[in-house]
Amino acid sequence: MSAHDKVTINKLPTGVPGLDEIVGGGLPEFSFNIIAGAPGSGKTTLAHQFVFANATPERPALYFTVLGESAIKMLRYQQQYTFFDPVKLPRAIRFINLSQVVLEKDLGAVLEEITKEVEKASPAVVVVDSFRTMVRKPQSDVDLQSFIQRLALFLVSWQATTFLIGEYAEDELRDNPIFTVADGLFWLRQTAERNSIVRKLQIIKMRGQASVPGLHTFRITNAGLQAFSRTFGLVGHRNAQPSQRRLLFGIPALDEMLGGGVPEGDSVLVAGSSGTGKSVMATQFIAEGIRQGEPGIVAVFEERPQAYAERAASLGLDLDAPQKDGKLAILYLRPLDLSVDETMHSILDAVQKIGAKRLVIDSLAGFEMALSPGFRADFRESLYRMIFALTGIGVTILSTVEVDESFTEFPFSTYSISFLCDDIIRLRYVCIDAQLRKIMVVIKMRGGNHAKDIREYEITPTGVVILGKRLTDFQGLISGIPVHSDRPDRGEEPSHDSEIEK
Amino acid sequence: MTTPPQMRDLANRLVAYEAAVSKASEPVEFAAPRVYQKLRMRLSALAGVAGFQALAFRALAQAKADAPSLWSVEVAADGSLKGLGELEPPVDIDNDSAGEGGVVLIGRLLELLLMFLGEVLTLNLISDLWPDAALDDRISGKGKKA
Repeated sequence: MSAHDKVTINKLPTGVPGLDEIVGGGLPEFSFNIIAGAPGSGKTTLAHQFVFANATPERPALYFTVLGESAIKMLRYQQQYTFFDPVKLPRAIRFINLSQVVLEKDLGAVLEEITKEVEKASPAVVVVDSFRTMVRKPQSDVDLQSFIQRLALFLVSWQATTFLIGEYAEDELRDNPIFTVADGLFWLRQTAERNSIVRKLQIIKMRGQASVPGLHTFRITNAGLQAFSRTFGLVGHRNAQPSQRRLLFGIPALDEMLGGGVPEGDSVLVAGSSGTGKSVMATQFIAEGIRQGEPGIVAVFEERPQAYAERAASLGLDLDAPQKDGKLAILYLRPLDLSVDETMHSILDAVQKIGAKRLVIDSLAGFEMALSPGFRADFRESLYRMIFALTGIGVTILSTVEVDESFTEFPFSTYSISFLCDDIIRLRYVCIDAQLRKIMVVIKMRGGNHAKDIREYEITPTGVVILGKRLTDFQGLISGIPVHSDRPDRGEEPSHDSEIEK
Repeated sequence: MTTPPQMRDLANRLVAYEAAVSKASEPVEFAAPRVYQKLRMRLSALAGVAGFQALAFRALAQAKADAPSLWSVEVAADGSLKGLGELEPPVDIDNDSAGEGGVVLIGRLLELLLMFLGEVLTLNLISDLWPDAALDDRISGKGKKA
C-alpha cells in the first residue's frame, strides 16, 4: 500500500496555543477524546477553546452539560476569556442540559437524547461535560462500557469530534474500561508545591499520530489555557548548520583570549562572585552584537528592563535605541511560579520576532528563583533542554552565574551545569598587595583554542577592561590569595593551546 | 426596584410580536404566556429544568412587587407558570392587567439573563427564538442588534 492509499486524517486546531504541537499537529478529526483531571484543572476551559476554534453555524458544536456547573454560570464565567466569541452562540455553539434525563432515567435515555440532538444538528463537535457525573449512578461496568462504546460509535458515524470531560483522580487511570474506548486521553494536573500552583498536562494516548510524550506545563490566563511543550515548539525545526563565525565580545583583550570571539551557537557561562562584573560583561556582549548587526535578547529576572538599560547607559552603552529599532528585547520574566518552558516560550517568541542571534540570561540564580519550587528540582534538566534547543537554532547564549568565592576551591557553577556550556569564563577576586583585585580566565572552549592566561581586569566607566598581560609575577592566583613569584617575567611564553602544540 | 425600561420595553415588543403573529381570535393577553413558554423551552434546554425554574422563581418574586396582578401566579416544578393569563386580578389595580403582569415577569426574566449572561448572549438567544421579529433596538449603547 502506498502512502497515497492511506486514509487522510484531518487535524483540527485545538484552540489552545502550544497544544497543537503537543498532540502531534492538531486533534484528529472524528476522534473520541476524554479530558480527565481534578476539579479546577482547566478541563472545561480546554473544551471551550476547542469548541470556539472549530464550531461554525453550518457544522455547530453541541455542548451537553449534565450535573455540576450550570450552563448559565458556565457561560457567565467562560465569556470572561478572550477566546469566547459570544456571536457564536447559539447558532454555532449550542448548550443542551441533560440533567433531567440523567436524574430521572438511565444511560439508554441519555444516549437517546444525545442521539436526537446530534441527528438534528449534525454537529462537528460534541462535548459532554461532565460525563463522569452521569456515570456515577450505580450501574455495572459492562453497562457503562457499553454506553461509552455506543456513544463513541454513534458520534464517529455522525462525523463528530468528541470530548467527554470527567473528574478523575490519578489512581483511576489504570484498568479503566472507558479509557480503552477513547482515541485521545488528555490528563490535566494541578498540584500545589509549597506556595505555588503548578499545572501540567499529559497526552496519555492519541491514536493515529505521535504526540509529544511527557508532562507539559500549562497556564490559565484570561486568554484561556496556554500549553508549553517540553520540546519548546521546536519539533520539526531544522537545526542551524554549524557555523565557523566568531561573535565578538566587545572587549578586545577578551576576544583575543577567546581566539577571536565566541563561536556562534555556543553556550557561554560567565561565572563569578557578586560584583565581579558578570552583568557588565553580559551587557557588553549584547551591545557589541547590536553594533555588529546581530539582534539580541536579554532575559532579566532581578531588575526591570528600564533599570537594566539605565545601568548599561551608565557604561556608555545605549540599549534604548536598539529596543526602539526592534534589534533588542529586554525581557523581564515575571518572578514566581514560572516554568522553564514558559520562560522558553517568551524567549523563543522574542528570538523569532527580532531574529535574535545573541541571548543573555542574567542570571541563572535569578532564573531559578523565578521558577515555581516544583520546577527548581528540574532546573538542571530544564536548562539542558533550553540550551540545547536555543543553540540548535543558532542562538549564542551567554548566561551569568554567581558562585560563592572560596579560597580552597575554584568552582565554575553552583548548578553543576558547566558540562552544558561550551565555553566558561571565570571571574574572581584575588588579594594582591593589600588590594582586592579581579582576575579573569577562560576555563574552556569546546569549539576551539583559547588562551590559558589569567588576566587582571577592572570595571571602568566604559565596562570591563583587561589590564596588561597575564599575571606572571604571582603563583596561586586561582586560590584568591596568590604569592609573589620569584620567576622572571615570561611574557613571551605561548598564550594559546595551539601555540603550545606548535 | 423596577424592571429596567429597556428590558420592559423588550418584553413588550416580544409580547406584541407574538400577539401579532397569533391567530386573530386569540386574546392579546395570551401572548405573554406564549413568550414565556418559548423562553422556558429554550432556557430549560440550556440550563436544565431546575436551572430555569430557579430563574423563573426569582423573576416572578421580583415581578410580583411591580405587578400585583401576578399575586396568584406560581412557578411549577417544570418551570411552567400556573395562573398567568388565566385569572383576572382579584383587586382592581390601576395601570395593571394580566397582560401587563406577563410583560413585567418576562422583563424580569430577561433582566436576570442580562445580568448573568451579558447583553450579547441574551440578545443572541432572543434573536434566535424570534428570528423574524424586528427587535432592532439595543439594550444599551454598546450592545448588538437583537
